[in-house]
Amino acid sequence: MTGRADETTPVNSHAKIPFGFLRLVEGPQTMGRGWPFWTGFAIVILLAFLAPTYFGIRPYRVNEFIVSGFLAASLSILWGYAGILSLGQAAFFGVGGYVFGIIGINLFDATGNTHLALAGGILAPTVFAAFVGAIMFFARLKGVYIAILMLVLSLLLETFMLQTADPEVYRIGEALLGGANGLRPASDIPSVAFGWGEAVAEINGRREGFYYFALTLLIVVYLALRMLLNSSFGYLLVAVREDPDRTETFGYDVRLIQLAVFCLSAALAGLAGSLDTARINRVDPELVFSVSANIMVVIWVAVGGRKDLTTAILGAITLEWLYLWLTTSGSPEYATLVMGGILVAAMLIAPEGVFVWIGNRLGRLFGRSRTPAAKAGEAHQ
Amino acid sequence: MTAPAAMTAAHGRPILEIRNVTKDFGGVRATDDLSLAIAPGELHCMIGPNGAGKSTFFKLLMGTIRPTKGEILFNGEDITRLPPHQRARRGLGIKFQNMQVYSELTVFQNFFIPLRRNHKPSAMPGLVADILDRIHLSGLEDELVRNLSHGQQQWLSIGMSIALEPKVLLLDEPAAGMGRDETQSTAEIIKSLNAEGMTIIVIEHDMEFIRNLSSRTSVLHLGALFAQGSYEEIETDDDVRKIYLGKV
Repeated sequence: MTGRADETTPVNSHAKIPFGFLRLVEGPQTMGRGWPFWTGFAIVILLAFLAPTYFGIRPYRVNEFIVSGFLAASLSILWGYAGILSLGQAAFFGVGGYVFGIIGINLFDATGNTHLALAGGILAPTVFAAFVGAIMFFARLKGVYIAILMLVLSLLLETFMLQTADPEVYRIGEALLGGANGLRPASDIPSVAFGWGEAVAEINGRREGFYYFALTLLIVVYLALRMLLNSSFGYLLVAVREDPDRTETFGYDVRLIQLAVFCLSAALAGLAGSLDTARINRVDPELVFSVSANIMVVIWVAVGGRKDLTTAILGAITLEWLYLWLTTSGSPEYATLVMGGILVAAMLIAPEGVFVWIGNRLGRLFGRSRTPAAKAGEAHQ
Repeated sequence: MTAPAAMTAAHGRPILEIRNVTKDFGGVRATDDLSLAIAPGELHCMIGPNGAGKSTFFKLLMGTIRPTKGEILFNGEDITRLPPHQRARRGLGIKFQNMQVYSELTVFQNFFIPLRRNHKPSAMPGLVADILDRIHLSGLEDELVRNLSHGQQQWLSIGMSIALEPKVLLLDEPAAGMGRDETQSTAEIIKSLNAEGMTIIVIEHDMEFIRNLSSRTSVLHLGALFAQGSYEEIETDDDVRKIYLGKV
């Protein structure tokens, strides 16, 4: 996409067009536009909704892929769009998961819903990110220092949570932090539930209902993020990624832009963590704060294509599917090795991402111009 | 001719005033008690051999580094402790020595960032076309920036700084790496911007380029103001010639 004045970019005047902001769903910062993309998008969504009924997929497993899509989106906007690599993205995922569980255990019986638990699961990591991010960005930390700091932070959380087994000390209301065993009592950790009084809809994390709910939510979040990334804010993120010092000389406080995207990214990771806790009614330190929990997110996004939202999400879902297949097909001990091999191969063959590479070729097939990220990917191949 | 001490600009109240600014990096003094005043509408050149402290001087002006001592006044306001974005909002524009364009975006999209703060999107196409005309890049709105030549990228970087409508424009080696014709065109761009009333400070070590601009010139040496005067005065100064040849 070239960003001409007559195209759907924020550099155009949509102010007088009703709901003109909806046009931001396509633009130069996101791959895919026009009927070929949206037809393909509609077919994929349709197939996804029909899958439990007609293709026999097991929601208990597939729900995990959808949750990973939220987490991949959170790292894509932070790393791919704003250029801030975090090796500790799972820290926010974990904080969200724990807070959802703690609030759920304490309030679900009283309220019958998980409104506050979900809100807490999103807000807590956001506030945490605001605190950590303010220190990092106003201290002008950048690059590898942020990546390592975030990984260390996640491991510190894991270390701390592992020693919270004493029920007398580490309890918040009815919720016991539980050390390595995870949040207790697990049977009281709710799935998501909406509504009040008699009109409450509880969605079991192991059933089809959760699959439809999470998939719909992922689509809504995906479209909203596309609009955000093609707005002025998206342009600023890319400008900060490309050259933060230059962007500052145009009068922008780069630290605030970085802090804003860091918090947004944490909120998304927190949402993913909350959904994951609701999905399996379980959260423990190794599951959410460990090195492998953090590195897997980076692998999904790097292999899929970090500089585009769609490719990052596709990377997460595909690799999670592959990982599940590897671990259930008789050779689970090689699963992690294979994942590492895929990362190395992808970095060598398609350094901008496998799905960016594929999208680039599909775009050429349909005669469409591509995103700057896609064009950059082509240059590397 | 030489006037290294605190000085007043030849015409009017200074728009930019540097007072006894010193910058130390550990044991190395990059800027040494430098004082300088720039008048509104002035085109001022700064020259000096490698390591003279020219780029450090611009970084001090823009706030990417802060002085060890001394103060910097812009329009009479002390901006010594302000971060770069606050200085930009007050009217300081800069093109640093390296290219500083967004190479993965188109020419048009590159202008979106500097224009966004002060202009509506609907006004941007006209504004961009006008700036591109002034920097010899008309018709290249949709070109991906990394497909432009080195010289065109330098002009684009200058154009992005112009888009901010700065009161003072700082240009660090605007003709670096350019051929003869492109260097000539760059000098014309700078002179036409100055003729429109923009205050401009140019750092350069290409004496031919400075001769083309023919403006008041300061010579930096070992971080200090070594000499100042018209280009002709500087060019014929024996001491200046010696520092360029490494004899002082």
